[in-house]
Amino acid sequence: MTDIKGQVDALPGTDPRAPLLQINDLHVEFHTRDGVAKAVNGASFWLNPGETLAILGESGCGKSVTAQAIMGILETPPAHITQGEVRYRGVDLLKLPEAQRRKVRANRIAMIFQDALSALNPVYSVGFQLAELFRVHRGMSRGDARKRAVELLDQVRIPGAKSRVHDYPHQFSGGMRQRVMIAMALALDPEVLIADEPTTALDVTVQAQIMGLLAELRRERNMGLVLITHDMGVVADVADRISVMYAGRVVEEAPVYDIYARPGHPYTRALLESIPRLDLKGQQLSVIQGLPPALTDIPAGCAFHPRCRYAKDPCRQDPAPPAYSIAPHRTARCHFFREVLGE
Amino acid sequence: MSDVVLQTRSLVKHFKSRDGAVRAVDGVDLQLRRGETLGVVGESGCGKSTLAKLLVGLEKPTSGAIAVRGQDMVRLKGGDLRRARRNIQMVMQDPYTSLNPRMTVGDIIGEPFEIHSDVVPKGKRRQAVQDLLDTVGLNPDHAGRYPHQFSGGQRQRIGIARALALKPEILVCDEPVSALDVSIQAQVINLLERLQDDFGLSYIFIAHDLSVVRHIADRVAVMYLGKIVEQGHDVAIYDQPTHPYTQALISAVPVPDPRLRGRRDQIVLEGDVPSPADPPSGCRFRTRCWKSQHVCGEQEPVLQIRERSPHPSACHFAEVRRVR
Amino acid sequence: MSDTRSRSLAGDAWTDLRHNKIFWASGVLVALILLMAVVPSLFTSADPAVCTLANQNQGPSSTAWFGYDFQGCDVFARTVYGTRDSLEVGLLSTLLAGVLGLIVGMAAGWFGGVVDAVLSRLTDIMLGVPLLLAAVVFSGRLSSPFEDGVFAVTLTLGLLTWTAAARVMRSAVITAKSQDYVAAARMLGAGPARLVFRHVLPNSIASFIVVITILLGTNIAAEATLSYLGAGLGGDAISWGLQIAEARNYARIAASPLVWPSVFLAVTVLAFIMLGDAIRDAFDPKLR
Repeated sequence: MTDIKGQVDALPGTDPRAPLLQINDLHVEFHTRDGVAKAVNGASFWLNPGETLAILGESGCGKSVTAQAIMGILETPPAHITQGEVRYRGVDLLKLPEAQRRKVRANRIAMIFQDALSALNPVYSVGFQLAELFRVHRGMSRGDARKRAVELLDQVRIPGAKSRVHDYPHQFSGGMRQRVMIAMALALDPEVLIADEPTTALDVTVQAQIMGLLAELRRERNMGLVLITHDMGVVADVADRISVMYAGRVVEEAPVYDIYARPGHPYTRALLESIPRLDLKGQQLSVIQGLPPALTDIPAGCAFHPRCRYAKDPCRQDPAPPAYSIAPHRTARCHFFREVLGE
Repeated sequence: MSDVVLQTRSLVKHFKSRDGAVRAVDGVDLQLRRGETLGVVGESGCGKSTLAKLLVGLEKPTSGAIAVRGQDMVRLKGGDLRRARRNIQMVMQDPYTSLNPRMTVGDIIGEPFEIHSDVVPKGKRRQAVQDLLDTVGLNPDHAGRYPHQFSGGQRQRIGIARALALKPEILVCDEPVSALDVSIQAQVINLLERLQDDFGLSYIFIAHDLSVVRHIADRVAVMYLGKIVEQGHDVAIYDQPTHPYTQALISAVPVPDPRLRGRRDQIVLEGDVPSPADPPSGCRFRTRCWKSQHVCGEQEPVLQIRERSPHPSACHFAEVRRVR
Repeated sequence: MSDTRSRSLAGDAWTDLRHNKIFWASGVLVALILLMAVVPSLFTSADPAVCTLANQNQGPSSTAWFGYDFQGCDVFARTVYGTRDSLEVGLLSTLLAGVLGLIVGMAAGWFGGVVDAVLSRLTDIMLGVPLLLAAVVFSGRLSSPFEDGVFAVTLTLGLLTWTAAARVMRSAVITAKSQDYVAAARMLGAGPARLVFRHVLPNSIASFIVVITILLGTNIAAEATLSYLGAGLGGDAISWGLQIAEARNYARIAASPLVWPSVFLAVTVLAFIMLGDAIRDAFDPKLR
């Protein structure tokens, strides 16, 4: 593995002490018919090797757009990265020349998606698609590449990898297809794996298999894993740290145990309270009133204030609350985090 | 409380396909009482959606009977069938495809009145539509808007309003919240519960999300490959599951509490659900079951109360195992 | 509720169209062309049938804006008067093809099974017929040399060109009928008429409209082609196709008799296509 890494040029400006991946104040806008949609509004987080960071949020919070911005797969236009940094080992990818940037992304950052069927090309066998990666990026011979493809399918625990390598994507079940996509993502030994809702389309028993596999692979390879999801159960099971996103901002960041025990942002708290729980059966579920804001019209001040039960005057005025440091390794963008924490 | 509003007997639906018959629903018996919620859980391909379609008459059963208030829906014809159908309506899964994009919300909710013109006289329909919108928590003034102008949660409310228009006693909810965000899910679930109290509705609540079903259901039926494998009160199913599949299913649900990480009794099943076109002989779960023995392939286990299962369970080796 | 509805889809479409520049541009053009077809004398005082050989191939002048053709006829007058037959053939044949395509496509898509198999094969067979060749044979049969041939050409084009519309309609109906909202209506007890006309048709008509507007253009052009080949209009008919056919031999001496009918033809086709596009968009609430 190390010799493969050696083939990739060392990046100038690499800082050994920097986090593996660091996002600073990222802004992404979409120019739509209804105006400018601010999909990401200053998102910041970091990721260390071997760590699982969950980015938690509901649809439209900007979590997928953030991932696409990191991967450089945003459609531009309509999307524009207007501000911010995406640092890989200290090097800002957004400032690198296009060719170098593409090389880093291809070799060191990989992504898997919710819908494996549309992410795989239906007219080629999965073995061919995997082997193609090795041939293009590693210059392997046809035979070697095929051998590596089988190994990889084996590593993602696809039974009978040797024969299944000739199968086409539609011949795999949903769970197996997701494994194939994971294999494709891992082919070039990335250091960062971004998983965008990887199990949302799967059944729970299959979801358990896939999450287990991802956790294992992360440990084996000491990869950093960014898990983008809306499922608080999955997060509780696998994440080390959580960044909660709302209206394009990270509103709370904390280690997983702390956040479930004592959320520091009203939104996180409300989310946790809205999960159906056994001890509250027969009672009304607590709900977050109203709807998330339209991205073309994000409220002034704290974007959550119209739905927040803690909201007071300062929340309704710009600037938005800063990321208060509310405990060691914890931040929350809420003026009244003390009340929320119950202090 | 004991009066049965809906009952099925040996309900079977086979679809013809190139590889023979797909046994989507293969002998389902269930009962729904007035004001009760029966949760139906299972993974994709277990037949729960086909069951929903059978119940509301979107599919014709291959055999078996569906009785709504004692009337056999399969035998009824013409006007009688239309009238009987009013009593059982459905809330669909996808709020984005279940509403006609070219009709206004008022027209969508008012359509049941046009089809069953004797329910509400013409002059009062507009008012009735506005009342329905109000009932489901939407602004009655928005009747002139189109579905795409609403959010997913609001659209699901529109779907619920349409289902309520004919004042049914039974609502079949097919994954009504699975397309929605968590915070919106809670709003819709609360609405469904309030409507149940206000109108004395009975629900068949079909979902793959076990925690949602646990919250809303009084009784739960677990389906696997077209059959019910375990059935009982919610507490019985969740706290004393006796079928291995139920146990695996419950253990696979991630619990939103990181403190339980690594301490839970996690059963990770091998492989995928077999094809319903060619289900395993005997017990259909045996190919993925850790308890499987010779008898499981020979003899199909019946859904019944067993020595070690205080509620009906379709496993030869049914035994209570608390999974958490 | 019916008053709310009429306000809704059609009313909203109109509100939308009113702000659409393309709609106005193409609408005005189409109106002008139609007016030209109905009362050509509004646009020119010259008589298209009066030709003076002395004027042969004369260039444009203040009396004859587009000059004179080989026969010494006023090109502008003939182009204006040619609008009627060209448009008549185009509109009527498209109407016929549209009705046929709509019925065949809807029936195939909605009923499926054997009906679909038979109708789809019929469509395939019709698609396999070479349009121009068949039209040359067919309309030649239908028309006698003493008639203008409008009926024959219209019938021929209508019967030969409905296939694309039928195919598009069929697949749109198949997509629409499997939508959840159709199931929802069926569940409420809606009969087939309601399902088709309230739910399936409005949601499958969009691409049909596009195909039809394009067909209108190509049928107007096809009339020109047929007339050019001598299998179209004849007798005392005046049409752009005939003009182009006659002018082609003298194009090097006088371009104007060839160019102007062609320009009218192109603009007319374009105007109808743009109008169809704008109307289709306006009836899609999602684009609003």
